Amino acid sequence: MSITLAIDTSTSRTSVALIKNDEVLFNRFHDDPMAHGEVLPKLVAQALGIETEIDLVVVGMGPGPFTGLRSGIAFAQSFSFGRGINWIGVCSLDAMAAGFKESDFLVSTDARRKERFWARYIGSVRDGQPQVSNINELLKLNLPIFGEGDYFPDPVQLAKLAKLNDSITKPIYIRKPDAYPVPKNIKFRVMTNLDLISASAIEKQVYGKSAWSLNQFKEEFSKVPKTAQYLVAELDDEVIGYAGIVFNADVADIHTITVMDSQRRKGIGRELLKRMIDWARSKKADAVMLEMRLGNDEARPLYEQIGFVEVSKRENYYAPGVTAVVMRKELK
Amino acid sequence: MSPIVLGIETSCDETAVGIVNGRNLLANVISSSVEEHVRFGGVVPEVASRAHLESMQQVINQALLDAKIKISDVDAIAVTAGPGLIGALLVGVSSASGLALALNKPLYGVNHLNAHIAVDTLDSQEEFRPSIGLLVSGGHSSILQINNLVTDVIVKGSTIDDAAGEAFDKVARIMDLGFPGGPLIDQQSKSGNRDLINFPRGLTQGNEIEKHKFDFSFSGLKTAVARYLAQTPNHKKADVAASFQEAVVDVLISKSLLACKESGIDNLVIAGGVAANSRLRELARQRCENAKVRLRIPPASLCTDNGAMVAALGSLAIAQGIGPSAIGVSADSAAGVNQIIWA
Ligand SMILES: [Zn+2]
Repeated sequence: MSITLAIDTSTSRTSVALIKNDEVLFNRFHDDPMAHGEVLPKLVAQALGIETEIDLVVVGMGPGPFTGLRSGIAFAQSFSFGRGINWIGVCSLDAMAAGFKESDFLVSTDARRKERFWARYIGSVRDGQPQVSNINELLKLNLPIFGEGDYFPDPVQLAKLAKLNDSITKPIYIRKPDAYPVPKNIKFRVMTNLDLISASAIEKQVYGKSAWSLNQFKEEFSKVPKTAQYLVAELDDEVIGYAGIVFNADVADIHTITVMDSQRRKGIGRELLKRMIDWARSKKADAVMLEMRLGNDEARPLYEQIGFVEVSKRENYYAPGVTAVVMRKELK
Repeated sequence: MSPIVLGIETSCDETAVGIVNGRNLLANVISSSVEEHVRFGGVVPEVASRAHLESMQQVINQALLDAKIKISDVDAIAVTAGPGLIGALLVGVSSASGLALALNKPLYGVNHLNAHIAVDTLDSQEEFRPSIGLLVSGGHSSILQINNLVTDVIVKGSTIDDAAGEAFDKVARIMDLGFPGGPLIDQQSKSGNRDLINFPRGLTQGNEIEKHKFDFSFSGLKTAVARYLAQTPNHKKADVAASFQEAVVDVLISKSLLACKESGIDNLVIAGGVAANSRLRELARQRCENAKVRLRIPPASLCTDNGAMVAALGSLAIAQGIGPSAIGVSADSAAGVNQIIWA
């Protein structure tokens, strides 16, 4: 006889099941994306009211929003430590996919920031590692999608899968922490005339038609060092990103923070932003402002985390129909 | 018989577990992710939270080994439920909930700030007397009136801008000393002249002292240091560090002793990470002796964040007959000092 306690907190749902051999003794959930830490102990306490002798703990290891995911894993690990029993980690998406009969499909859960965690299943076997991407990229695959909301990782399936696969021992984060340490081999320095050509090449790659031309770049750059500061980020002597800030009256305006596509998510943008703010401070600016395209949600959480708040919107700012969001951070 | 309490602390960058038996310290294990934060000059919440989950089981296990007990010998679990970084707190609270349910033992969600003070009761025979508390750390600088450690704590004043520990971090950054600033400035100061530069003592003059008798302000001091560095090309770092440190420590102690005098309480407890500062300890000893105030400062090793302080506060709650927290206790990142034990 074997009794398994199965837990999943990888989505907005907290689920707990108790399975004795193949019989489901308990299977309950609570939907609240912010309350995994509070809900989980209550559900487990209810389950223990039915059967207290547990032999194994199985827990969904994600992918999922980090804070809720960790609550489930921390609880499961400590519970099994307290009981002196084993725990097994299973990919939560696998437990979500287990119920479907299609031969080729996707399951996806909410990754916040308008992105989805997802995996593809061919003949009920996962094809590769779970991923995170924009919803549009999933739609491009043109496959049936079973998504969070209608479907959730099933703790009973978690318990079944635990018998079939090796345990996953680390949380499936996929994303790096927002402020992942900038790799040590990346250097930051003041931009010089010699960097203008490489910078405008990156500009073109990232912004396409709305990129600054080399001449516009030269003009902006000519304000340095009196009222402007331009920095570059460099990897192995190659420019991979740059940022510029211009000081007007009492306020410093960040004109650009641009990082080469292939070098994103390494904390380079954050580091450039931090250095821009430091410069504005040294010039005794009252505040730092920046504009971004409406819908540019990738950078927005970073700006907000650093203390920028939206102050206005400017329609048709970048091009007809493209709205700019103006954000401001007080320095005083 | 006094209960064995296991305390878990994860409010910032230390994953820590302490075990006490009544008021005796049995184990105090700390795993810090500070190295990973050095590059940023501050703690990165997601990096800290990941590190907590990664080291939690090892830290619990090591604490049990140090205490020479089995997990089943534990009578109660205590955990920091706030204040702190919410994602970091939740790793501790969820781990504590898992242990408590597995063992079928009571769980106490406790306040990190009060725990800093409660650690002073460990390995001491004396009963705790009503005291003025100076709580100084990276996140907080407050003067408290502590009538009862578990049930009755009043805030008399706190910082209106930076916390004392934060001021150390920021000045260390301006001076290019590194992170965390407290120990680095303490070290530099040892070879410096603390009377060389007369840095401002915030909220101690004129009508500011009327309005902010027990409050602190360190932001002007930080600016003064930056200005001094810019204007004095041939400065000696050690002198600047020592003079800055003296300004902070001077205000902290003066206002604490003023609170003692005014409330007629002649006990002062200094706690929190900044209480590990050697000059603070030295000057507090001198001034308290002159003022005939009885001074208590926990050993430096128990001043920075640790699990023993959490266990100590849980143990005091049990000793006073306080009931455990509800199942599914929630973390509160902004809890104040008057929320001592979670209901
Ligand atoms: Zn602390």
